[in-house]
Amino acid sequence: MGGVELLQFALAGLKNGAIYALVALGFTLVYAATGAINFAQGEFYMLGGMLSVWAYAGLGLPLPVAGLVGVALTAVVGGVFEFLAVRPRKDGDLLAIIIITVGGSMVLSSAARHLFGPLEKALPAFSGTGTVSIFGAVLEIQSLWILGLTTLAVLALWYLYNRTSLGRAMRACAVNRDAARLVGIDPRKIVTVSFVLAAALGALAGLAVTPLTQTAFDVGPSVGIKGFAAAILGGLGNPIAAVAGGIVLGMLESLSIAFISSTYKDAIALVVLLGVLFWRPQGIFGASRREKV
Amino acid sequence: MLGRPDIRLVVIVAVALVAVFALPMLTSERYLLRVFTFVGVNVIIITGMALLFGYAGQVSLGHAAFYGIGAYASAFAVINLGWPWPAGVALAIVLTAAGGFLLALPSLRLKGHYLAMATLGFGEIMKVAFVEARPVTGGPDGLSGIPYPAIGPFEFDTAGLAYWLVWGVAAVALLLAYNVVRSRAGRAMRALHGSELGATACGIDITGIKVRVFVISASLAGLAGALYAHVVGFVSPSTFSLHVSVLLVAMAVLGGTGSLAGPVIATVLLTLIPYSDAVIPGLSRSALETIQEWQEDIYGLTIIAVMLFVPGGIGSLIRRMAPGRGEAR
Amino acid sequence: MSLLQVRGVTRRFGGLVAVDAVSFDVHEGQIKAVIGPNGAGKSTLFNVMTAFDRPNDGSVLFDGAEVIGRRPHLVVRSGMARTFQNTQLFEDMTAHENVMAGAHAVTKTGFLAAALRLPWTVREERDVAEEAGRLLRLVGLGEWAETPAADMPHGLRRLLEIARALAARPRVLLLDEPAAGLNTAETASLAEALYRIRDAGTTIVVVEHDMGLVMEVSDEIVVLDRGCKIAEGPPRLIQKDPAVVAAYLGEEEADEL
Repeated sequence: MGGVELLQFALAGLKNGAIYALVALGFTLVYAATGAINFAQGEFYMLGGMLSVWAYAGLGLPLPVAGLVGVALTAVVGGVFEFLAVRPRKDGDLLAIIIITVGGSMVLSSAARHLFGPLEKALPAFSGTGTVSIFGAVLEIQSLWILGLTTLAVLALWYLYNRTSLGRAMRACAVNRDAARLVGIDPRKIVTVSFVLAAALGALAGLAVTPLTQTAFDVGPSVGIKGFAAAILGGLGNPIAAVAGGIVLGMLESLSIAFISSTYKDAIALVVLLGVLFWRPQGIFGASRREKV
Repeated sequence: MLGRPDIRLVVIVAVALVAVFALPMLTSERYLLRVFTFVGVNVIIITGMALLFGYAGQVSLGHAAFYGIGAYASAFAVINLGWPWPAGVALAIVLTAAGGFLLALPSLRLKGHYLAMATLGFGEIMKVAFVEARPVTGGPDGLSGIPYPAIGPFEFDTAGLAYWLVWGVAAVALLLAYNVVRSRAGRAMRALHGSELGATACGIDITGIKVRVFVISASLAGLAGALYAHVVGFVSPSTFSLHVSVLLVAMAVLGGTGSLAGPVIATVLLTLIPYSDAVIPGLSRSALETIQEWQEDIYGLTIIAVMLFVPGGIGSLIRRMAPGRGEAR
Repeated sequence: MSLLQVRGVTRRFGGLVAVDAVSFDVHEGQIKAVIGPNGAGKSTLFNVMTAFDRPNDGSVLFDGAEVIGRRPHLVVRSGMARTFQNTQLFEDMTAHENVMAGAHAVTKTGFLAAALRLPWTVREERDVAEEAGRLLRLVGLGEWAETPAADMPHGLRRLLEIARALAARPRVLLLDEPAAGLNTAETASLAEALYRIRDAGTTIVVVEHDMGLVMEVSDEIVVLDRGCKIAEGPPRLIQKDPAVVAAYLGEEEADEL
């Protein structure tokens, strides 16, 4: 395989990796706040695309506005879901929360089917269907949008975490909920905020990718698995590592298409997930740590 | 627990057994028998899910995949390899047990609910595999003309015989599971569900127990698949989708914790939803279609509602009706 | 040779040295206590000794065999049973079932044998049920057998956890702050239970914050302060040891602040 072809696959991997990174960030935020895996995370990705298509094609809004509407509505859905289905389970039992999000995932995808039908939906590319050439490899301009939006989202999240009192409260909660409560932080509020942000990040990924791949009511679970594998690969609970995990997973997938076959490319995420759990449960970027009794 | 069977329990089980096995003699309506055969297949799967979820507290979102592997493996063995059906069943069980082991070992070594995500991923891969592995699975069109289950020269070739076969297997599976849950192994499952630290301090190998339960539940799904394929005579990938896995979770969740009867009741209720016309005479076609259109919402909302309002599911309601006489006690 | 040998155990959490090169012996048939003010590293040491946590350095020999690095449930099966500072009972199970679960380490029935209800499994189950009843009576919980653990009063839950640990027929029983949260009467009945257990041939290690119980029941005491062993000896000497008095006085002053 030539260098240009390899670069081509690497660029595709980078693009997909950016999407996985956004979804992985969503998992990480909710995990930090609740300790639970949110199985509805993939549905936020699905809703981001579907609601944007609805705002664009259904309401006739201009594309940038429609995209904003799609992401904002999904964020609202995330918050409402947390408020109605997760928060009432007051004991915060992890198994219960996980099962609730499984049920929520089913309801959200089914609701999308009732509202928008079973067919695939598309959006126009944000700035034309052109391509750019990078050392001979071809990249859609939409992919640049994906990389740019991901970078922006990561920077915004970094700012939130490190430069705002809300972000500090979120980090405090992730370390120790009881201690956070003692200094006047309401952990329930942090959980809601985390779901809203996770939904917005997933939605942004869904929005950015829809012009390239189309979307449908049932795309959530498979993207969810990849985002989760990315989060685990990085080390669940660490946002920066989640982004790195996403990029690595995207690259691995792309290389497997290049060297093996595209039929079972989705299996890479599962293999990565199982492999990391087996050999390096703290993730490739996480420091070794042990459970404290 | 000490071998003193509760007389009420014995009566209820006996009545239920008679009612279940008498059905083919009371009706000749093939559709009704078909639907209840299908209920029986789901009861076999849910027996494993009840052990996994209701006793050991683990979630699987991939049991439809094991169900499918069992179905395709047995059908392939009988059609293409010319094996007798019992050998096909054995293959189904061996393959699903091995698959379950490989999936469970990495996922269950750690605290946290990684198994749920690993099984979801496994289900999605198998969905692709069922479509792509044409020589074995027949691709998107599936396999048809699968012969009836047969033991030696005896074929289960009528709706009634198929029904009896499936429910016979279901009854045996439930009996064995009942023996397990009130034994040392059953206590170990409930113990690790209650407190992993406490269970470890009792010398319980929590990973070992979880892996064993998962392997058992996977192979019961495989067994159910091997029955389904031959009873229905046709399999296609859509029968083994994520939707089915979530339906199974809904049954286990509604059925509740620490109970076998609860999950069986939940399975009967939830399996019948899309076939409401079989049990509600005169149900209009459009009403049925509406029910089918909304069945996933029903499953999803059931899961959420149970976790919020009746966390112990039907099982806890049964225990409340018979205080101090829970079936696992 | 002593039954349990702790040698140079050190456990760090980040920069904090929770346990610093602690060594001592536990002899067969003893009641040995490990005491110290809050934050002395008692629970950390306890978790290391039972293989629930791994030290950065040091060794723990039980009957001559290394404990560190082994999976904790195997250590239990080799004859070391423990309780927890925050009781880890099986809340949905009755007191009797909790103790029966404790016999897991010394019974064999697996999934297959249980499913087939082989005759020996029925016998084993009957024996375990009887033994569990006997242990409940030993700790004074005979009346509570059919009560779910979740419905039992705090003090009795600690006794239940001890009965559960005894069901594993341990050679050494390790108790993590068994008197925490008990009133005077409950502490007295705990002390009685400890004597009965010791007299039945089980060695006991008690990690305890409260001095009262320890001074009464233990044969020997190890005192920790800020991760280090500062004294070891019989209760009457420990009581007078200036270093021990200073450590506990320091804590009282801190409490008053």
